[in-house]
Amino acid sequence: MEETREVQGAWELSTFKFRIEGDGFQLMLNSMKDAKLKGLKCQECGTVYCPAPFYCRKCHVFIDDEVEVSDHGEVMTYTIGYADVRGEPLDEPRVSCMVKLDGCDTWFMGVLDEVEPDDVHIGMRVKLKWNEERVGSLQDMEAFIPE
Amino acid sequence: MRNVGIIGVGYTPVFVSKRKDVSIPEMISEAVDAAFDNTGLTPQDIDAITFGNMHTFEGVNMPHLWGAEHIRSLGKPVMRIATGGTTGMSAFQAGYYHVASGLHDVVMIVTYEKHSEGDAQVGLMGIITPEVMAMLASGIDVTGGKGMGAIGGGSAGGISYQAMSYLNHAGAGIEHIDGIAAMERRNAAKNPYAHLKDPNATAETIAKTPLVSYPIRFGHICPTTDGATVCIIASEEKAKELADKVAWVWAVSNCASDATTGNLIEGLITDPAEQMPCIIAARQAYERAGIKDPKTEFDVIEIYNGFAHQTLMFLEKLGVCEVGEAHKLLEAGELERDGRFPTNASGGVVSTNAIGTSALNRVTECALQIMGKAEGGHQVDKDVHKALAHGWGGLMQYVTVTILGDEPRKG
Repeated sequence: MEETREVQGAWELSTFKFRIEGDGFQLMLNSMKDAKLKGLKCQECGTVYCPAPFYCRKCHVFIDDEVEVSDHGEVMTYTIGYADVRGEPLDEPRVSCMVKLDGCDTWFMGVLDEVEPDDVHIGMRVKLKWNEERVGSLQDMEAFIPE
Repeated sequence: MRNVGIIGVGYTPVFVSKRKDVSIPEMISEAVDAAFDNTGLTPQDIDAITFGNMHTFEGVNMPHLWGAEHIRSLGKPVMRIATGGTTGMSAFQAGYYHVASGLHDVVMIVTYEKHSEGDAQVGLMGIITPEVMAMLASGIDVTGGKGMGAIGGGSAGGISYQAMSYLNHAGAGIEHIDGIAAMERRNAAKNPYAHLKDPNATAETIAKTPLVSYPIRFGHICPTTDGATVCIIASEEKAKELADKVAWVWAVSNCASDATTGNLIEGLITDPAEQMPCIIAARQAYERAGIKDPKTEFDVIEIYNGFAHQTLMFLEKLGVCEVGEAHKLLEAGELERDGRFPTNASGGVVSTNAIGTSALNRVTECALQIMGKAEGGHQVDKDVHKALAHGWGGLMQYVTVTILGDEPRKG
């Protein structure tokens, strides 16, 4: 019986051509050039989404009421990573978290930097650290850091 | 709707990391043969087939057609189902619809996963391809380097948010995740169809395994398993004619909500530990089954727990106990095989995870407990009258519930 054979190859992600630049996503990216975050508010229930879908998930109505969301918020949950996506150990533990930004109802996921892993806790206040040069891309955000 | 009963179960002889001796269809065939052996049925008795396996994990897009002869489906209705972790129970529920509706009398549910021929991590990345694309388009290192690529760590990374939120809400600690993982590895040691078995596992031995993504350790995580499971169901009339022992379906339900990770393209509200679909699906299932008090009525419970904390979290979401109570039941030994709430006597998904089978195995394990046919010493001590099976999957936001009883449902 022959052992399992491995065939070398690559799965080119570029073969997929998803449209990911929805209007709500684009609204957020554009606002990020000015180190701001913009989302949409439901005119019926007041829920604020960022980045926003074009409808309210609760009321099932179209929404287009632009609102600015704070770049400060609260850690809702977090994890400390010790391995990378392939299971290889990281040199330094890496903290990432889900943050509820002030004035927004959705949770933002990101890296939490400039803090010792032992000092992180749910309910912790954090703010976004912006890159000096911003181009309207997710890369404009460097990380969350303690407030 | 007509009553439906489970009349037979077939597993592959083993559930292990690598079945190099058989191909995918050959491995499926083993479980199909076992189900026919266990029931005395032949392929001629089967009216229709539902088929479940995880999408993308082996890169095989139409395994139900590749394995058509092996599932004895030539010339018969076949429906393939793929709903992520819940796939097995979704295939079961589809089979249930076939029979309860009156369309067919005897239906075979076939599920498998052969992880050793694929890559679960690539598969999981495939599920969130749009999110990954958004990050790549922004120059973000998705493998966990610099920038906001906070999904590094794959499924374990995403699930850690859930575990942390659960611990916070429940007032439990990482030692409870160690404890429930150890209990399930011990239970698995008595199940011939389990994968990771450790009769001597304790919270202390689990606590020595390395942290992967706090609070999740290596010892809290399911393996990738090769295996197949088959379940045969029949209408009440046919079941009574074909089988001595039957586990009756009292209710099926399922529910979806927003995905709970990958908030980059559209913001989501959901706490990954909220699991509202579980609360809704449980409520609907209890109503349909006439369950008045989920805290006292179930003799056996099987929870889908790819990660050990989920056993405790979902017991609370299913209303088997109050929020913050599950880890206390664990400490009191109530979740053990001889306890008040025998939970995952099979060893659970955390011990055996051939994904396509995993949610179906929750149902088949409950069925075998009702029939008194659980092998290898993992049959619970008491008579089993009612059992609760739970599945979890989708994008962390889809839940299935099935309730079984030892007699046909009335009314």
